[in-house]
Amino acid sequence: MSARSRKDVRRDQLIGVAVFLVLWEVTARALDNPLTMPPISAILAALLDLILSGELFLALGQSIFLLIVGLIAATVIGFVFGALIARSQTAYWMLNPYFSALFVTPTIALVPLVLVWFGFGFPGRVIVVVLAAVVPILFSVASGLRDAPGDLIDVARSFGVKGEIPLLFTVRIRAALPVLMAGLRLAAGRGVVGMAVAETYLRLGGIGGLIKSYGAMFQTDYVFASILPLSLLGIGLVTLIARVERRLHWT
Amino acid sequence: MKDATVDVPAIELRGIRKTFALSDDENAQRVLALDGIDLSIRQGEFLTIIGPSGCGKTTLLRIIASLILPDDGEVMVEGETVREPGLKRAMVFQTFGLFPWKTVIDNVMFPLQVRNEPAETARETAMHHIRQVGLDRFVDAYPHQLSGGMQQRVGLARALSTGADILLMDEPFGAIDAQTRELMQEELMRIWQEEQKTVVFITHDLDEAVLLADRVLLMSRGPGRVRETIPVELPRPRFDYDVRGHEGFAKVRGHLWQALRNDLVEQRAEETS
Repeated sequence: MSARSRKDVRRDQLIGVAVFLVLWEVTARALDNPLTMPPISAILAALLDLILSGELFLALGQSIFLLIVGLIAATVIGFVFGALIARSQTAYWMLNPYFSALFVTPTIALVPLVLVWFGFGFPGRVIVVVLAAVVPILFSVASGLRDAPGDLIDVARSFGVKGEIPLLFTVRIRAALPVLMAGLRLAAGRGVVGMAVAETYLRLGGIGGLIKSYGAMFQTDYVFASILPLSLLGIGLVTLIARVERRLHWT
Repeated sequence: MKDATVDVPAIELRGIRKTFALSDDENAQRVLALDGIDLSIRQGEFLTIIGPSGCGKTTLLRIIASLILPDDGEVMVEGETVREPGLKRAMVFQTFGLFPWKTVIDNVMFPLQVRNEPAETARETAMHHIRQVGLDRFVDAYPHQLSGGMQQRVGLARALSTGADILLMDEPFGAIDAQTRELMQEELMRIWQEEQKTVVFITHDLDEAVLLADRVLLMSRGPGRVRETIPVELPRPRFDYDVRGHEGFAKVRGHLWQALRNDLVEQRAEETS
């Protein structure tokens, strides 16, 4: 396959979307069952209604706030434990099994525990996002800090940087940044999932709450109209991080 | 000021001894890397250090830089015992040691920023030395955009920007192609004469060792010791004539090669017995 220009890729994507939407609309009208498959026109009308009523932006605001607080908490916690297992072999062998287990356990399986330990308020929801997002950050911090280039540490020391903490900030973290950002990008994707789980299974709220409550009322067109912004939020966040990531690379 | 201290050696090593553990285990066997190195380097002297690989040249330089501490003995810089890196010594690294995320100017300014020098004067100093190594057109380039030779010029400019009297160079041109290396040697000679620095220069290249030095220090291995030091009394500036054709050059080089060769033969005999 030959390389494609950006313009060509955009064109292909647009054509793909248009074909998909037309097929959907035609099929939905032929089936004539809005419960299982509402036509695109109905979904767009529902979306417009959600926007005009302000419901969507309120939900989106709640969701983004939860997501950001959760990701910040996950970053802080991931950093502390990641740095710990990067520094200490003992800590690595002691803690690694738990992090690996957490990584493969579906967040939704932990919701009942979060509910009894932390309640269904905001702290509980933040913890669900942290559980979903923390491990990729933690592992990327650990591997990024462990692989710090020894020669650059020597350079910094020879020019007068003294002590572990200054070395951490002048060399280790900066050298690890591309890896850290890759971890953060993964974490953001998982964080969106955690956010939706928290909003549908702990207490209804945000975008997840919209989806769940419209689903319960069998308003499938509104369900689709709520899923769309959720996906866009995830894609937007991951793209943003990927962009920062590219700027931090030096080759 | 300078006159009062002119008799003090730039660097003095007394009984430097260094061992390394063979593994992380506390009771692991230790090998002797350097055994009783005594050395005095004059202010303004250009000293090259050569020896078979594994003789501890780089370890010795790292000890002079205080990047590692010897087990026994002391390092004195201009008459004072040192135990950590300081402002009077600046290092040039074999693989350049540039921060890949910093531009040329930011790399050269790095030591000055560590010292909290005001940005303005740091910039001026850095620019001066970037011009000195002929890289003024690449001030805002990143290391990966530069050739090996250019990257090492940045490394040299960074060491110069510290204003240190002593340059510690660890096989600085070892990773650079032969033709560029000759240019770099010539340029280093010019800068050394302009700036009156003391230089300790590690190399594994015999020609380079003789070409640059006031004095060549030959090390032997297993454990690393000073085998001999040989003065090189070729007229300077040495790039104005065919220095390699000079009778004195061949003599020193031949002598060094004999000694090195003996060491290598011994080493081979040990390995095969």
